[in-house]
Amino acid sequence: MRNVGIVGVGYCPRFVSKRTDVCIPEMVSEAVEAAFADCGLGPEDIDAVIFGNMHPFEGVNMPHLWAVEHMRALGKPVMRIATGGTTGMTAFHAAYYHIVSGLHDVVMVVTFEKHSEGDAQVGLLGIITPEAMAMMMAGIDLTGAGGMGAQGGGSAGAITYQAVSWMHKSGATIDHIDAIAAMERRNAARNPYAHLKDPEATPEKIAKTPMISYPVRFGHVCPTTDGATVCILASEERAAKIADKVAWVWGVASCASDPTTGNLIEGLITDPAEQRQCVIAAQEAYKRAGIEDPKKEIDYVEIYNGFAHQTLMYLELVGMCEVGEAHKLLEKGELEISGRLPVNASGGVVSTNAIGTSALNRVTECALQIMGKAGERQVEKEVHKALAHGWGGLMQYVSITILADKPKKL
Amino acid sequence: MAEKVAVVAFKLACAPDLHTTRERLVFNLTRGLFDELGIDRHAIDSFVMNSNDFLDGRTISTVFLDAPSGAYLKDETKVEMDGVHAVMYGWMRIMSGQYETALVVSLALTGSQVSPYVYTQYSLSPAYERQVGLLNELSGAALQAKAYLSRRGYSEELLDLVAAKDLELAAKNPRQIRRLENAGVERVRSSGPTYEPLRELHCYPPTDAGCVVLLASEKKAAELTDKPVWIKGFGSSIDTYFFGERDLTRSPSAADAAKRAFSMAGLTDPAREIDFAEISALYAHEEPLLAESMGLLPEGEAEKAYRAGDTRPGGSLPINPSGGSLGAHAPCVGGLMRLCEAVLQLRGEAGDLQLDGARTALVHGQDGICAQQNGVVILGV
Amino acid sequence: MEAEKLEFFNPKVPLDFQYNNRVGIGIERYLRGLGERKILGSKCPQCGKVAVPPRTVCGKCSATMGEFVEVSQEGTLENFTVGHVQLVKGQRLEKAESPYVVGLVRLDGVDSLLLARISGVDPSDLKVGMRVKAVWRDEVQGDYADLDHFQPA
Ligand SMILES: [Zn+2]
Repeated sequence: MRNVGIVGVGYCPRFVSKRTDVCIPEMVSEAVEAAFADCGLGPEDIDAVIFGNMHPFEGVNMPHLWAVEHMRALGKPVMRIATGGTTGMTAFHAAYYHIVSGLHDVVMVVTFEKHSEGDAQVGLLGIITPEAMAMMMAGIDLTGAGGMGAQGGGSAGAITYQAVSWMHKSGATIDHIDAIAAMERRNAARNPYAHLKDPEATPEKIAKTPMISYPVRFGHVCPTTDGATVCILASEERAAKIADKVAWVWGVASCASDPTTGNLIEGLITDPAEQRQCVIAAQEAYKRAGIEDPKKEIDYVEIYNGFAHQTLMYLELVGMCEVGEAHKLLEKGELEISGRLPVNASGGVVSTNAIGTSALNRVTECALQIMGKAGERQVEKEVHKALAHGWGGLMQYVSITILADKPKKL
Repeated sequence: MAEKVAVVAFKLACAPDLHTTRERLVFNLTRGLFDELGIDRHAIDSFVMNSNDFLDGRTISTVFLDAPSGAYLKDETKVEMDGVHAVMYGWMRIMSGQYETALVVSLALTGSQVSPYVYTQYSLSPAYERQVGLLNELSGAALQAKAYLSRRGYSEELLDLVAAKDLELAAKNPRQIRRLENAGVERVRSSGPTYEPLRELHCYPPTDAGCVVLLASEKKAAELTDKPVWIKGFGSSIDTYFFGERDLTRSPSAADAAKRAFSMAGLTDPAREIDFAEISALYAHEEPLLAESMGLLPEGEAEKAYRAGDTRPGGSLPINPSGGSLGAHAPCVGGLMRLCEAVLQLRGEAGDLQLDGARTALVHGQDGICAQQNGVVILGV
Repeated sequence: MEAEKLEFFNPKVPLDFQYNNRVGIGIERYLRGLGERKILGSKCPQCGKVAVPPRTVCGKCSATMGEFVEVSQEGTLENFTVGHVQLVKGQRLEKAESPYVVGLVRLDGVDSLLLARISGVDPSDLKVGMRVKAVWRDEVQGDYADLDHFQPA
């Protein structure tokens, strides 16, 4: 076991709806160059590369093969990791294991998504297409009680059940979802790498956006974004030589559950707001990081919130507050950039979602906050320890990463 | 290094059509493995899934496999390329000290449910190669075979010699799907042409395959098996994507991958120290080409070696004593099929195909057109 | 391993998604060139390598290939294969209507080989090293198919 730190972060210059000017490798190249510029390393310094995205979104299988020159990875070990929404973080974890196992010293994580090249809803529905097709051919009504349309990860499917269930448990209302969405849009306005920005966003403004399916409004839902993110990690010995400011990895953990929408064939439906895998992953990550009381010890949190209510729901599930407390923290302004427990100063996934990057961006945003390099979105309080969260699949995968401003005592 | 990692058990299923679903296949393999070892899913700390969305026609291909594999409420990740890389990742997870066991779960129903060619075809640039439409894994392989034979001064008959050797062995291997009677040079030569100089029997057969491989730390391995097979080293590397810039007569990335693996395993004279190799050669020419690139055969000596029987069982360096990928191959699972065969040899359980004194093996897996990316694992007992 | 035979509902699932991939900076220049009956490559500012079709990064030097250059339309046939099959939709291997030639051409002054269809010659007369030249389709449209094939010069 040895310490691993983040030494460099690179984003492509813009996260927007459509990058029509560049192809996939060209966009990836922009983020790789930005990461090299950030830490002063070059291709020769990189021992191995981890690559992640959800390739059905662009229709290119294992795009690292095509992008090998553009990500400066010729002749290097390259590993492709893909786990749905958590891809960015599980790829980051793979880089961590490359180093912590003693195998390599400096490893680069490359992630991207270019949703404009495909249909993200098709990509997401592709998760269940084989079942849907089979059911249609067997004459099963997909719009009936089975709620097939809701099974997909596509926006406002099973998510609506999750939001309702969470509201019931926590006592939060749709007004709180409007308020957290507005906060994130305002935060996004301070982030040059965010997609949907609105410095003037208010809960009232969000409340005016069309209702998709109660309680999920259009203003609560993430966009589809084109973008690429690169993160460079190094062993303790190397990190100290590479960078003045390092964000150290204290603990990582992942946990998988059944598809939260249930097992189609057996008709088993679980509560999509229960998220036991999130509780397990968070507890494991705390244990590995030696954190006994996250409420006291964690200064900053980035939650993967494809949908606005998830910021509040997952804050409770990762143990940053009690169930029923998150919306109260929001009411008191404690989740703001100026607050006691700032969350998603980046604007979160609800403001920017290039899926392959989204879970990695949670980690890199925590790292930038720890390094004090978050620019206008730098939170007011000092950040010593931060937690990054990601979810994916049919709401069944959760990954957690805990970072700190000092190397962990081994 | 603090400790070692062993392959302690595996289950492999191959057929032209396994007549099953992905969920049932994975359940049967994992459950079969657990029952054989007398353990349950709680003995597994970490699951490394290994499949590919394009083969499953499903975004996030393993999304319904967490329950069938036993990964429910467990640590899980997915390596979406050849399975040897999933084994490497399992090794890293165990070596981190955070896990004692890792189960690699791999599948591809490319015999019955989807074309294996989708795997490489969709890896090509949609902005150029797929639009022009001339490059596919078969046309690429044919051009490589031609370039390789002509550069080395080998005759086209080498392709038949390689395929006949592999298919004769495959015929004796119950895990292979292409088990031909009198699979000699004549039979290979009389198979239909695809892209010249390659014929049908120079190419792998589309296969349904599933495989689970259990890795464990030294301590845990002692509890689970009397016959641990150790992961001594591994390496991976990748070549340029641009076909017109590849030196088709050798594989720099296979050479790099092998060098990294040899160095990690402490092998200084691999051609002597390795007792046999299981190479993912999807097309006949790839077997000598990759063997040369990895330093197992001297460049330019392959035809002589094949004619002399050096690469057969009993020869100086048996290559693919299992019959190799020409007997059965599926994307992702491919490298693991080679790994399972090597494990059987090293445990002395290869039956009719058993080699004498097999103690160190090279296992190889590949991805991309003309093996653009290569992974090598060194196993030993 | 003997396959376990199970009876279960097994419909065909036809998957055919539509994508809208971007060609990017390099290939866009290439296609514009084709529309003017020109073959463009990109040049590495460090090692001087010229690659066709053009792209934006030289992997060896890690340098940006920002310069696009017109290259010769004649070259040498370096390698070829005669195809007796075709991969329909990238999936099904079917017998080709008639054998066809796919060749690797080294255009004069270019460092990469261009994969191209070779026509206008009996396959048995093809020889590695023979000179070939580009043949355009009658009306060019700035499309991949503009550069139709190569034939002996
Ligand atoms: Zn160059």
